[in-house]
Amino acid sequence: MVVIYSMERNRTEDRERGGLGPELAALLAKAPPPQAPDWFAAKTLARLRNEERPAAAKPLGMAGWRWVWAAGAAAVVAGWVLWDRPKAGSEISDAEVFAALDALVQQDEENRWWAGL
Amino acid sequence: MALIVKRDEEAFRILVERHQDRVFGLVARMMGGAGPEAEEAAQDVFLRVWKSARTYRAEGKFTSWLMMVVRNQVFTRLGQQKRRQDIDGNNPVDDETGESLLERHADSGSAAPSEALSLKELQKAVEEACAELPESQRLIVHLRQYEGLEFEEIGKITGQSLTAVKALMFRAREKLKKKLSGYLSASN
Repeated sequence: MVVIYSMERNRTEDRERGGLGPELAALLAKAPPPQAPDWFAAKTLARLRNEERPAAAKPLGMAGWRWVWAAGAAAVVAGWVLWDRPKAGSEISDAEVFAALDALVQQDEENRWWAGL
Repeated sequence: MALIVKRDEEAFRILVERHQDRVFGLVARMMGGAGPEAEEAAQDVFLRVWKSARTYRAEGKFTSWLMMVVRNQVFTRLGQQKRRQDIDGNNPVDDETGESLLERHADSGSAAPSEALSLKELQKAVEEACAELPESQRLIVHLRQYEGLEFEEIGKITGQSLTAVKALMFRAREKLKKKLSGYLSASN
């Protein structure tokens, strides 16, 4: 009676533990997971150093994407400043305006003459 | 970890050396082999530890926190792998043998264990049986079997309730028993 109770208790405990059971656990124990290769720690540290390289090591201490932002901001500022600025030599003197008007009138008169008007 | 927060590389090296087998073993099991991709994923885990060291709270066990990082990293990678396979429509290939995993699984179903069962064969069968489990079940089996964690702890790592963890474990056990039934009777 005691033996049956003990076996039942063991089975219950095993079920409660919810493990794989002794047979399956023993089988899986024969196939342990692979171990890390010898160079693993060294390679991990090398990757860490590569990724954590200080920003100072980069040109003017700026990371690549910061250059993009800086260039973009500079282009916007330059565009803003230069957008509506009068160009040098873009002013037209009165004499030039009158000369152009005279030319237009003369052209019109010629056209009318040729048309027989 | 306090030293790692202070960016002490030597402390980090010690941490990697202490936990590399645990992390690499789980990553390799979850990803279906100890190839270069598993190595890279395991490295990613440690780099994540370095970057997230500040978020670590010394209230729980460090290994539980580490396993949580592994879980997140592996599930992200497996998700990316699945998306890639969906796009390419490819059958994944074992990095070491070049053998198609689907072919290998198909073969494994019909393989009967011989009486003189070599350890290598047995290991391969166990690995394949584990690889066929769904990811969540595979993770729980590994954490329970190889890390010896309690279900409460596994629940914390996987973000599942105790009942859910036990249910997954039960399903995994049934599948493994079915898959390895020949080997179980052979080992008796």
